Amino acid sequence: MHDGVAAYVLGVLDDEEHEAFERHLDVCARCQAELVELAGVPDRLDELKREPSASSGDDPPMSMSR
Amino acid sequence: MCPVLGHLDGRFESADAEAEHRIAVLYQEFGGPLLRHVRKSTGNDLQWAEDVVQETIVRAWRNSARLQWEPGLIWAWLLTVARRIVIDGRRRRSVRPHEVEPPEVDMLAVPDGSERALSAIVVADALRSLSDEHREVIEQTYLRDRTISEAAEILGIPPGTVKSRLYYGIRALRELLRDKGVAG
Ligand SMILES: [Zn+2]
Repeated sequence: MHDGVAAYVLGVLDDEEHEAFERHLDVCARCQAELVELAGVPDRLDELKREPSASSGDDPPMSMSR
Repeated sequence: MCPVLGHLDGRFESADAEAEHRIAVLYQEFGGPLLRHVRKSTGNDLQWAEDVVQETIVRAWRNSARLQWEPGLIWAWLLTVARRIVIDGRRRRSVRPHEVEPPEVDMLAVPDGSERALSAIVVADALRSLSDEHREVIEQTYLRDRTISEAAEILGIPPGTVKSRLYYGIRALRELLRDKGVAG
């Protein structure tokens, strides 16, 4: 079950599995920690999908800590 | 204390009023950062991005137990929720009467001009240095907007194998990116 976290963070699980993984996430500290660790990876991959010159410079690194 | 977590009991005349207030608070907390983030995936289609943010916020409100998580985890979860909504929208938009396979674009062919951001080159390099098995599942799922089961069918391997390779592949990619200083 734990190895679903990468597919989950990328949003590529099929609907049922996505929902099942979220229920697992609610009770699994390990997957919660890995979700935070991997949360930035899809954005990096998006840089390969994006059209050249469409990159925007409006996104300073954001911190949710307060 | 995070206002999202505040106890509102007794302050509102109706459940609707309380729901409205909670949604407004969520917007205040997460609306701006989410919109900035989502716009990058909607090709700067602002209307679409705003719809995605709204749906994300409503889903967050319906799953309020998760709003008790620590802020970094809430944010990671919200990004995942928003990403799913964007992907669903993109898939719906791309449905055409004659569905055709998208042209084979070489995701890893980085033009030698300066059009691409340096970090895109670093990411392409990192992807290239993964094992073939790991790179393949990343390309066949996320980079082509395919689900695990769709990719499994194309690759002719069980969905569980795709999922597991994706796990190790993404972990390896993240390590590489972190070493190169571009981890998110
Ligand atoms: Zn787990």
